[in-house]
Amino acid sequence: MSLALGIGLLAAAGVYLVLQRGMIRIILGFVLLTHAVNLLLIAAGGVARRDAPFFGGDTSSAADPLPQAFVLTAIVIAFAITVVMATLAVVGRGDDDTEPPPSGDEAPSATSEAAS
Amino acid sequence: MPLQGPGVVTLTALLVATLAVVVITMVATMAIGRNAGWVAAGGLAVLAVLVGLRVPELLEGSGVVREVVPWMPTLDVAVRLRLDGLAALFLLIVLGIGALVMAYSARYLSDMTVHRHTGYFAWMLLFAFSMTGLVLADDLVLLFVFWELTTLCSFFLINRSGRRASAPAVRTLLVTAMGGLALLFAVVLIIARTGTTVVSDALASDAWQTDPGFTAAVAVLIALAAMTKSAQFPFHMWLPDAMVAPTPVSAYLHAAAMVKAGIYLLLLFSPALAGTVVWQSILVTSGLITAIMGAVFALRRFDLKEIMAYSTVSQLGFIVALIGVGAPSALATAALYTLAHALFKSALFMVVGIVDQRAGSRDIRLLRGLRRSMPVTFWVTLLAGLSMAGVFPLLGFISKEYLLGQMLEPGGPAWLGLLLATTAVIGATATFAYTGRILLGGFTDYRGSERVDDDLDTHRMPQFVTEAGPGILVPALLPALLGLVLGPAVVWLHPLIGAAGGAAAGTPYDATFALFGGLTVELALSFTIIVLGLVAISRRRALDRFFERRILRFTAIDVVERIRTGSISLGARVGDLTRTDAQPLHLATPWVLLGITAVAAIALAPVVGPVVGPGEPRTDALLLALLLATVVPAVITRSRLTALILVGGAGFVVALWFFALGAIDVGLTQLLVELLTVVALVLVLRRLPAVFHRVRRSRQFVTAAIALGVGALATVVTLAFTGRRDISAAGQYFLDEAYTDTGGTNIVNTILVDYRALDTFGELTVIAVAGIVLMGVLAARPILPELTPDLRPWAGTALLREADNTLPIRVVARWAAPVVIVLSIYLLLRGHYEPGGGFIAALVGGTGFALAYLGASSDRQAPVRWPYRALLSAGVVVGVVSGIGGYIVGSFLKPVRVDIPLPWGGEYGFTSALIFDLGVYFAVVAIIIAVLNELGGVRDRPGEIPERAGVRRAEVAP
Repeated sequence: MSLALGIGLLAAAGVYLVLQRGMIRIILGFVLLTHAVNLLLIAAGGVARRDAPFFGGDTSSAADPLPQAFVLTAIVIAFAITVVMATLAVVGRGDDDTEPPPSGDEAPSATSEAAS
Repeated sequence: MPLQGPGVVTLTALLVATLAVVVITMVATMAIGRNAGWVAAGGLAVLAVLVGLRVPELLEGSGVVREVVPWMPTLDVAVRLRLDGLAALFLLIVLGIGALVMAYSARYLSDMTVHRHTGYFAWMLLFAFSMTGLVLADDLVLLFVFWELTTLCSFFLINRSGRRASAPAVRTLLVTAMGGLALLFAVVLIIARTGTTVVSDALASDAWQTDPGFTAAVAVLIALAAMTKSAQFPFHMWLPDAMVAPTPVSAYLHAAAMVKAGIYLLLLFSPALAGTVVWQSILVTSGLITAIMGAVFALRRFDLKEIMAYSTVSQLGFIVALIGVGAPSALATAALYTLAHALFKSALFMVVGIVDQRAGSRDIRLLRGLRRSMPVTFWVTLLAGLSMAGVFPLLGFISKEYLLGQMLEPGGPAWLGLLLATTAVIGATATFAYTGRILLGGFTDYRGSERVDDDLDTHRMPQFVTEAGPGILVPALLPALLGLVLGPAVVWLHPLIGAAGGAAAGTPYDATFALFGGLTVELALSFTIIVLGLVAISRRRALDRFFERRILRFTAIDVVERIRTGSISLGARVGDLTRTDAQPLHLATPWVLLGITAVAAIALAPVVGPVVGPGEPRTDALLLALLLATVVPAVITRSRLTALILVGGAGFVVALWFFALGAIDVGLTQLLVELLTVVALVLVLRRLPAVFHRVRRSRQFVTAAIALGVGALATVVTLAFTGRRDISAAGQYFLDEAYTDTGGTNIVNTILVDYRALDTFGELTVIAVAGIVLMGVLAARPILPELTPDLRPWAGTALLREADNTLPIRVVARWAAPVVIVLSIYLLLRGHYEPGGGFIAALVGGTGFALAYLGASSDRQAPVRWPYRALLSAGVVVGVVSGIGGYIVGSFLKPVRVDIPLPWGGEYGFTSALIFDLGVYFAVVAIIIAVLNELGGVRDRPGEIPERAGVRRAEVAP
């Protein structure tokens, strides 16, 4: 139950952040979503058996190693994507804003982009 | 297979040899430039002779040679090759004309001081290879692959001839690729219906008789494919359009070989489809319309090459109509016509190239008096032209004679024969007339029309023209002469054409062509054609005036262009439905859709098994509490830095959770990645404002609602669909067998580097690509400047002195860095047996580099000057190389194991998987160093890059 709630919490927070303005929030949301999905993958392998899957000795309560292998690579790939997104956040002009300001009090980033 | 004894050239060897010619010629161009054309010509000629020598042998035996080289056994796809009469005929055309055109290219192209022409020869010979494969293919999939290859070769050959050529090249590709799709549909349909991929087996299936719907569908698709390839109405436009390609390309691809691929396809499928009403009506109608239309258009053009193109279209129309008639004698005539056309049309194209090269123009309004200055060229043109016009005693005369005979008796009602014959006579008369236009327009003062188009470039009026050299004339002369010899000696062709016709008809057929078949109706018609043609030529000025008016207000090219732009704008229209600059809409859509799916899944599949195993341990609740404590404030805070730190904290909690779930390696990886993510993002945050942008309150509510919905669903789905079964069968297998299979005890690592190494290799590549993207983006676009923090409150303290405030970390780094590096190597080596492995070791190493970076007193001094670009590619290269050894023991990336005895006793189980893991290590370390160096501020400030580049350019310039 706790794990399911944790996954839900991470997913909710991730989706919320992704839907806000600014690349950094999107990146952070993406990171949280990654956590949610990775935990879900591990959960899909079953959470009742919690011993580390090493050969030798009793493996009757060893966890399923397959989702672990998936998640391990997923984490590293997510890291690669994160740094690419982070790079995209700091190139160009203006800041990491992803949309023009709602009230027009600042210079819209799209315009300054076009002017440059 | 009687011909496969030792010392006999096999079909596979033939195919490989054509490929070898490509490579040899490409190498030769490096040394001798255009003269490599002679090498290629020699190679193709030898192959043509070898095939030619085998033909009699082949025809005496079973009539067919087959070979099979396995390719995709599970799909029943193989390199099945077959040589029968039909294939032999086309093979001789492809190789023979290919050799001539290659020899011609050696003098047509500019010499080596201008260009080496490596690409030109590569594509031309690759095309020869593709055609060889196409006519030899006895496998439907192979047939399709080679078919598409010819399309691609044609596209690249057109496209590489200058800026002007790009639009025609694309149009050509679109039309011919559409035909390719039709062929693909047909192939799939045939495989599905007959259950075999073997062409000859499929053609012998009884499905063709029992299932008329299937037969009709395939007939339409095959006809469509062939009509696009052979430029038949209404797909004829691409061929004149493709004339922007160099003349040898036109002579080979667009006269002799590629357009004949369509003819070959029609003949190949004739045994199954001939006689079908759909097949007959499509081919005969389209063929005859094309024949007349092409000839009429040829009468209206001024560019010799364009006239040739329309002439080709028209001649192919006759052949297609013949195949449509479908009787064995008609198919044999089609085969003969194909050969005759290949001979005279390649000669004519080569002549046009010679005229273009010597006189600097191909426009009949500009060319005059060449009959005197270029007599040999004129005679070659005359010889080939007369064959095309169907004049006694050339080969073209015979093929035209028998064409008329077939049109007179197509089977069916008598009026049909009358109609077809009349149409054929009109087409043939127009052919005669445009042959006159070519000869008179190109070599005398005749100008075609008094009308002067705006595209006429009068400055290019040729002045002093001299005859071309023998090197370029002989390749053009040979096929023209062959047309003259083979007319009276048509008996020599009987075995080959008979076998080709027999193969196309599906029954043995004996060819009985004769130069003079008695006083027949055909002879009378031929005579009529010649008389009418001569009248047309003598009354040419009146004819020109008649043809001056435009027949239609638009051209076929316009239509294709409209379809092309129309489909693009339709695509844009469809895209507009979802196109918006508001990111949240894009990002929200998948969640909403996913949510709907999840709701549907829960609603549809309520039956889930009972939860297995004991309840969760208390620690889970604690971890959830920690997660709440980090995630909730991370969402609420407006400070970028705070949010980053809190999200990093959440990552640590998740890592702990992984540990709690028995995923040691995963937890370690998560921990290290979290560390490095925070470091990378801190580097980014220095360039951004301290707080997030404001969003409207209403939006916060809406997004929060979506987020809570997704979260609730995620929880429900996790509860409903996980934890309800015991360990998966795959997981159990790994637990039981991993050690025996791989010798590794760390099962997760064995999955990564042994069992699923190809997956991991893909991931390693993703990391390398991400690194390249990162560097590329930063090289292409300016990076935001760093924002100077407000340091006034800290004035006078040690915090402002860079050298001082990094002291602690430098002290730590001095002893920690070597330890970290040794630890990282240790983790790499033991990864197969205990927690560790390439990913974790590299991440540990990465933290070492991060430490070194943080310890530097300023950005400019800091950096870890490692060649991360090289390291990144080294990762992929090492991964690939480590996998090659696996081929010896089975497959790519399959680990090879060696036990190395250790000096202190025992042994170390060395496996090539370790080298693979080293590749992973390199790539991951490289991307971390790339992040530190590229984002860490050691690169140039924005604005400096273009200036410095300018300076460098200035230095290079003299």
